[in-house]
Amino acid sequence: MSENKILLNSVPIEEFKESIETIENVAASRINATPDNADHGLAQLVLTLIELIRKLVEKQAIRRVEGGSLSDEEIERLGETLMKLEMKMVELKQIFNLSDDDLNINLGPLGSLM
Amino acid sequence: MDKIIYAIMGNNCSKEELTDLVKGIWGISGSSLYALSFKEISVAVSDFSASKFVVDKEMAIDFARVIEQLSQNLTLLPVRFGTFLKSDEDILKLLADHYDPFYNNLLEVWDKDEFGLKVIWDYEKGSKKIREEAENEEVKADTYFSKSTVHTNYLLEKIKKHKLEDALLRHVEKLIGEICVYLAQINPACKFKKMVSNSLILDGVFLVEKDKKDEFVHAIESLKQQHDDLHFLLTGPWPPYSFVEIDQSF
Repeated sequence: MSENKILLNSVPIEEFKESIETIENVAASRINATPDNADHGLAQLVLTLIELIRKLVEKQAIRRVEGGSLSDEEIERLGETLMKLEMKMVELKQIFNLSDDDLNINLGPLGSLM
Repeated sequence: MDKIIYAIMGNNCSKEELTDLVKGIWGISGSSLYALSFKEISVAVSDFSASKFVVDKEMAIDFARVIEQLSQNLTLLPVRFGTFLKSDEDILKLLADHYDPFYNNLLEVWDKDEFGLKVIWDYEKGSKKIREEAENEEVKADTYFSKSTVHTNYLLEKIKKHKLEDALLRHVEKLIGEICVYLAQINPACKFKKMVSNSLILDGVFLVEKDKKDEFVHAIESLKQQHDDLHFLLTGPWPPYSFVEIDQSF
């Protein structure tokens, strides 16, 4: 690019760096499966999908709780299920040595997963 | 030899001018660039072996350089990095088969440039008031639950977290509203990603008529004056990467 593309920049250098790192993380967050790490890549892909579904379920569940349409028993069961799901995800991430960032894939125009 | 495609272009000039213009630009890795035309649209192409195509930063920058140089004089739709076809005939067939969507998309970006605006804040400082307000909202357990258990407490924490996320999104949406007011005279097409990260609260792209660039930059500068707590990064002009609406799965 021959000309200067920055027209206005009031971003302090530290925050600018952090922002660039965020963008680089998004680029690096694509699933990277190769013959050498197929197991890990597959685990990352599967857990990412599970995490996406878990987050959607959680959001929907919270909406229903806020909507006041659930009985005490249903709320109790929902809380227990969501809690166990979250704990199970923590456990699975540990088993496959994955962090939250590893599951925060770039969904293109939709933004990042989390 | 395979054909790599860079951009679909509107015929802003005569065929001879287009040929000369394209000839004056090198394709990736020094390959010769040429144009193929069908009716009112053309495509910039160079011969390049797909097996020698390496997807790396240098190649991506080189590819972007070609599109950038073409966009100086032509209205164009950048094509996805690494799009290959087998022959000139295949490319002409592609233009013929998708003529209407290509042409209509070109009309939408005609004589316009893309600009990017990133709005960044110090999350701890910037969101402090919003977090305090969200906390003061007093999300009481008895609003939702008749008894307190470990599971209802867990749900309560989730509700608080969701309320904070909603409050942050509302704040960003308010900012988008302000941006739209400031840009009302210019009326650009725009797209926004909200809360990309804790610090990058808004990542927007705008499609602005070329002759309104200065007006646009001035409007963003004025907006910045109103927000000491926010940092702005405005870049451009870019080819209209974010406003290509055609299916590129060909």
